[in-house]
Amino acid sequence: MSQSSDTPTLRFSPKAVAELESLKTHYPNLKACILPALWIAQREYGGHLPPEAIAEVAFRLKRSPAEVQGVATFYSMYNTEHKPGRHMIEVCTCLTCHVCGASNIVAYLEKKLGIKMGETTPDGMFTLHGVECLNACDRAPLIQVGDEYHGPMDEAKIDALLERLRNEPESKVVALADAIVQVHLKEEEREKARQAAASVQS
Amino acid sequence: MGEYKLLLRHSGDPSYATLDGYQRQGGYDGLRKALAMDRQQVIDEVKTSGLRGRGGAGFPAWIKWNGLPKEKTKPHYIICNADEGEPGTFKDKQLMETCPFLVVEGMTIAAYATQADVGYIYIRGEFVDAARSMRRAIDEAYRAGLLGRNILGSGMNFDLHIHTGAGSYECGEESALMSSLMGERGMPRLKFPHAPLPTISGLWDSPTLINNVETYACAPFILANGGAWYASIGASTKNSRGTKIFSVSGHVNKPGNYEVEFGTPLMELLEMAGGMKGGELKACVPGGSSVPILNAEACQKAIIGYEEMMEVGSMVGSGGCMFLNEHTSIVDFIWRTSIFYKDESCGKCTPCREGTRWMFLILDRIRSGQGRMEDLQLLEDVCRQIDGRSFCGLGDAAAWPVAGALKVFRHEFEEFIRSGRSLAARA
Ligand SMILES: Cc1cc2nc3c(=O)[nH]c(=O)nc-3n(C[C@H](O)[C@H](O)[C@H](O)COP(=O)(O)O)c2cc1C
Ligand code: SF4
Ligand code: FES
Repeated sequence: MSQSSDTPTLRFSPKAVAELESLKTHYPNLKACILPALWIAQREYGGHLPPEAIAEVAFRLKRSPAEVQGVATFYSMYNTEHKPGRHMIEVCTCLTCHVCGASNIVAYLEKKLGIKMGETTPDGMFTLHGVECLNACDRAPLIQVGDEYHGPMDEAKIDALLERLRNEPESKVVALADAIVQVHLKEEEREKARQAAASVQS
Repeated sequence: MGEYKLLLRHSGDPSYATLDGYQRQGGYDGLRKALAMDRQQVIDEVKTSGLRGRGGAGFPAWIKWNGLPKEKTKPHYIICNADEGEPGTFKDKQLMETCPFLVVEGMTIAAYATQADVGYIYIRGEFVDAARSMRRAIDEAYRAGLLGRNILGSGMNFDLHIHTGAGSYECGEESALMSSLMGERGMPRLKFPHAPLPTISGLWDSPTLINNVETYACAPFILANGGAWYASIGASTKNSRGTKIFSVSGHVNKPGNYEVEFGTPLMELLEMAGGMKGGELKACVPGGSSVPILNAEACQKAIIGYEEMMEVGSMVGSGGCMFLNEHTSIVDFIWRTSIFYKDESCGKCTPCREGTRWMFLILDRIRSGQGRMEDLQLLEDVCRQIDGRSFCGLGDAAAWPVAGALKVFRHEFEEFIRSGRSLAARA
């Protein structure tokens, strides 16, 4: 069956559709759902927001793709530019971390992974990224990987963390997006989404 | 004076994050009392308490609470600003992780006083643990009839949602936060007197109350024990009442959150945090990256209080207190500060967008050893062009640390320019 030319290809899972339906009840209009819907999309599209993801969010919220793209690009946690590696390592280089040795952490990670800040390892496993204060400065120097904070970091802890992440099949970028979607939803809304997911599996 | 654990009293007890544990420690006494009063009485208790906003500006809380129309013609909204992005600050994070019900109860009290129908907690995207903790608390509160319809049989209805950010410091600014919550880029909106106050026209043009996490967390104590009781804490200061949580970081032995009574000397806070590490005290940024830096001498004199901190040339701000030891290069520290503001400027207005870039470029030149003496004057000029001329507070916040450092540590900038490197680096 052919879809009309303005209907983009839709990739949201039944679970995602159920989540979005619940979110719509939290706000007086669809526009306010753009940010949470982008989190759903970032999870559904494997950790980033290609133009098709933007188009799908726009379509589902009855907004224009240009508007949704404009919103998405304002925020640093939406990966609109390119697909990050399976795990994104965010190194805080802001004030407290800076005076507590963040540059050593950056240098060690760059050496160990053989890439510079902003780059992804050739195997697509890790992306290194510098960030501003993650507001856990009591644990400086601090690193964020997906939904986890790690600090204070040193070389031994970095070694152990990388080792664990290499054996972690789930993308931490996707895990973060999913965690953020889940905190938006009430108990019964999460249950509804679970049922929607289960109904297609059976 | 000194440490005074009110908000953080039970923060070490994991059961305090459950409804049972919370109520065992007197949780929800404040809301029960509030619901038995009329709305204006609740606002009057907050007025008596002297509570001032803990998000940075120290604006009297009751004025905002009192500012929403008493005759309701539209939905009323309340927002909790949990975007905590000011470098050096991590108190809201801990409050949400360990005392989530203080925030839920505080917001419910505020909702009652302002006739709000719906509340949103705007939590920064990175704070997953804090958001999960708030989620569990909200779910539990709904289950127990403490949120939703007919709360505690009082006839009051209040829905509370979590909305997360997605990486932007500017979204902590209240009008930008509202833009973001409404599904837009996180840009600030026109302010009073050019536009109505948010208490009249905020979210979706409806009356809106916005307060910081810590501000709401004070409300249960004020209602449970009375505004006069709260105002007796910190009474030695000019106009600061109650306690304040300081997030202490930098070169100290025990970084962490410490709650003190207003009127406590800054040096006592340093002692609580285990004293200096790796060298003598050189400087302190007492209230988050936006506030002017103090030298060791000023630290000795500084008393924690909104007016008292201004007397020594800085501010309480959000309570992000960074202590720096003698081996720290102030030029390098301020250079790093300038990167933050350059990157986080939303770009809407010229003084901030261009000014933060120029401040960085000049500081970068100095730091790389290519600085000229005239650069210091130039930096001061740029600060003056930004301060008070920007569309929102981020511009001012970017100028203050630079202007402050040039005043207090000018000799270090001069020495750096003369020799091409810093005093600290040579030491
Ligand atoms: C650039 C900028 C960032 C801000 N970030 C925050 C923040 O992260 N959290 C916060 O509570 N207030 C922040 N504020 C202050 C808010 O605009 C607002 O004053 C506060 O939410 C009011 O709450 P309060 O009265 O309880 O302090 C920021 C202000 C500016 C100008
Ligand atoms: S001062 Fe201007 S450019 Fe800077 S963040 Fe505010 S509105 Fe944006
Ligand atoms: S400076 Fe790194 S967490 Fe605050």
